[in-house]
Amino acid sequence: MNWISRFIGGRSEGDALEPGIAEALAHWQALPDVDLSRAHFEARYVVVNTEATGLDLDRDRLLAVGAIAIDGGLITPIDSFYATLDTSPSRALSGLLAFARKDPLVVYNAAFNLGMLEPLIEQRLGLGLDANVIDLYFLMPALFPERHGNPVRLAEWMESFGIETFQRHHALGDGWVIAQLFLAAQARALAQGATSARALLELERAYRQYRRKA
Amino acid sequence: MSTAAAQQLLVGASTDFLRHFSPFDRMEPTALAYLAQHAVLGFHPRGSEILTPEMGPSRHFYIIQRGKVQARQTGAAVVTEYASLSMGPGECFPIGAISAQRPSTNAYVAVEDAFCFQITADEFLHLMQISPVFHLFCTQYIASLLNQSRQQLQTTFSQRAAEQQTMTTPLGQLIKHEPVCVTPETRTRAALEKMNELRIGCMVVTDAEGHPLGILTQSDVLPRIVLAGFDLERPIDEIMTANPHQLPASASAYDAALEMATHGVRHLLVVDPNGRLKGVISERDLFSLQRISLRQIRAGIENATDVAALQHASRDIRQLALNLIAQGIGAEQLTQFISALNDALTRRIIELALDRHDLVGVDFGWFAFGSEGRHEQTLSTDQDNGIIWRCPELQDTEAVRRRLIAFAREVNQSLAACGFPLCKGNIMASNPDLCLTVDEWKERFGDWIREPDPQALLNASIFFDFRVLYGNERLGDQLRAWLNKLSRTSSNFLRMMAANALQVAPPLGRIRDFVVEDDGMIDLKKCGARLFVDAARIIALRTGVDSSSTVQRLRQASGKMGVSVEEVSAIIDGFHFIQLLRLRSQHLETEHDADGDNRIDPDALNELDRRILKEAFRQARKLQLRLKLDYQL
Repeated sequence: MNWISRFIGGRSEGDALEPGIAEALAHWQALPDVDLSRAHFEARYVVVNTEATGLDLDRDRLLAVGAIAIDGGLITPIDSFYATLDTSPSRALSGLLAFARKDPLVVYNAAFNLGMLEPLIEQRLGLGLDANVIDLYFLMPALFPERHGNPVRLAEWMESFGIETFQRHHALGDGWVIAQLFLAAQARALAQGATSARALLELERAYRQYRRKA
Repeated sequence: MSTAAAQQLLVGASTDFLRHFSPFDRMEPTALAYLAQHAVLGFHPRGSEILTPEMGPSRHFYIIQRGKVQARQTGAAVVTEYASLSMGPGECFPIGAISAQRPSTNAYVAVEDAFCFQITADEFLHLMQISPVFHLFCTQYIASLLNQSRQQLQTTFSQRAAEQQTMTTPLGQLIKHEPVCVTPETRTRAALEKMNELRIGCMVVTDAEGHPLGILTQSDVLPRIVLAGFDLERPIDEIMTANPHQLPASASAYDAALEMATHGVRHLLVVDPNGRLKGVISERDLFSLQRISLRQIRAGIENATDVAALQHASRDIRQLALNLIAQGIGAEQLTQFISALNDALTRRIIELALDRHDLVGVDFGWFAFGSEGRHEQTLSTDQDNGIIWRCPELQDTEAVRRRLIAFAREVNQSLAACGFPLCKGNIMASNPDLCLTVDEWKERFGDWIREPDPQALLNASIFFDFRVLYGNERLGDQLRAWLNKLSRTSSNFLRMMAANALQVAPPLGRIRDFVVEDDGMIDLKKCGARLFVDAARIIALRTGVDSSSTVQRLRQASGKMGVSVEEVSAIIDGFHFIQLLRLRSQHLETEHDADGDNRIDPDALNELDRRILKEAFRQARKLQLRLKLDYQL
């Protein structure tokens, strides 16, 4: 690909999809939207996390994507996904979509993660992600103001909850942390009557609005 | 490909975590991999209930990953020693409930935010199957509940028992006074004066170091001194009872009671580890521990002049047994105890019958078979007895036999009147087939061993547990020695016995906990205790163990068979638990005036008892497996 394609968007001509990927994407696109009012205990959420060369959206490249499903309020280690983008980015990205289905996504710092992912998906796969994204960066301080009233770095939530992981700054290693934080978030939200993905999204939106006013 | 890479990372992380804790650190690699693959992680905020009895049968097994969980007792009766127990990372729950697929007896509450791995009950059971390490871990945990059940049982009964003091109190604590003793040379007059002055019921005679040599009790004074016209100036050692019964200070009140009941004495000497006199325990000291005293029962039996009086004593034995259960006496001691008193009762019945039947000159022994022979009587035992005798010279064998049978018939009837129902299978001394001379018995046993048809095997299982309860014990010893020699060399017979013993399997279900009969009951004798008894008998015959009690047979044989002490203890615990349940149901039924039997409804048991019963049956299965392997059946 050349640098222009990043601005133009869409798939570049010479980068035809590998066999099988188009079918997988068509299948993904045909999936019905999920019901956001389902209760946590019957809903599937997908934690998505990225690993890049750095934190600059303009300069840095995406290296790997990781995803972990949280089904019915439980983290299921065997229901997980990890792929590097070095050999076949489109296969990695379509694999991620197939894994995530249309379930609500959970990320830590959407601005960066989706800022990395969305353009690349558009560019490589020729479609928009358009997912329901719950950003723990905002949801956590909204739910646990007694711990941190303002958005903080992931490491601080790890410390606050005593959460550990097998490898930091790794798409799946940090994903494992985010998934555990999300379990705690679900439990706290439930206690506050926020029983569905929609309620979580609203909580997050309200928190952002409140921060803007403040 | 992409999911595989992720799984490897995350499952690997779970595996690494688990490896830090027992028993997962010792677990077989494939089993650990299975666990890590199936474990999902959940979160339990502080104060939330993870598992409670109200949630019904436990569907998940939890391993704490982070945080603290407290196990709390629920319900009125305290089941375990702890009221609450705090658990941290690596600890898991519930083990017993999920093994038995029953509701938990504890409530598990997160006292800190807690993350727990969990697997489903099915995965848990599969893990038990594929991992011997995990299986052992869970079994040992459940076995530790056995003790707790005994305590619970005690709680149930102590509400009904008048006395709170227990029969397990060490004798050392029951001694009220410094011992009063004299030397053997002491003049009898001086000793008696001292007894009178101090108002004590007995005088102990010791050597200079304080080792007891003899005892003189108040009740000896009349026959030995007054009526015998004994010279009071002569030394006390001429009239004392030498070699008095002694027990160490660490022995329990129960031991003392058993000793007194067995030997019919009223005083016991308590000695320190060096054998020096520490004090005297009288029946009256134990009396305060019990509502019905041994003395009363014992005296009731010994002084009984007719069957009516013995009937009374028989009821007292039951009542006493109830009290002892309330005081937490274990099944082994309890069955021994009942056997000791029933022996005394039977002996008295025989003595009364002998008054009316002239058997002078006939050398005979009264055989107890079955549970009585094994010292394992519960409260509902029918009669199993016989007679072994030697025909006096120059007498007609059949004439003597007729006299013995007439005598036996009276004994059988009297026993029936005292609550030992007549044997439905006619295994009674009044049956001419069971009133045999030594040679006839040998012939009978020899036939069974040589031609072990089904009936012969059934007979062997009853008659091999013989014991001479009254009369010439040497007749029994002679038969036993002969029999052990013969059966040890008859491997075919032992093999048939083993096959016969394996015909009844423990009532463990594949889907449900227990296989019950049509009416929902389990026969604890037929499907429980007997499995242990039968297996132990064969093992004893094979290893040449002379004891006729199941527990002794297993203990003594285990060394010879290379079975570990722990393994044997677990089997014995299982046997005792089933015996305890039998006794308990018999007791409860006695109060309803129904005939005691051995049937229980497993659904009526509490959760803990159910679990332990299941484990007890598993031990029976283990024992049977041993037979299967030994005899390649």
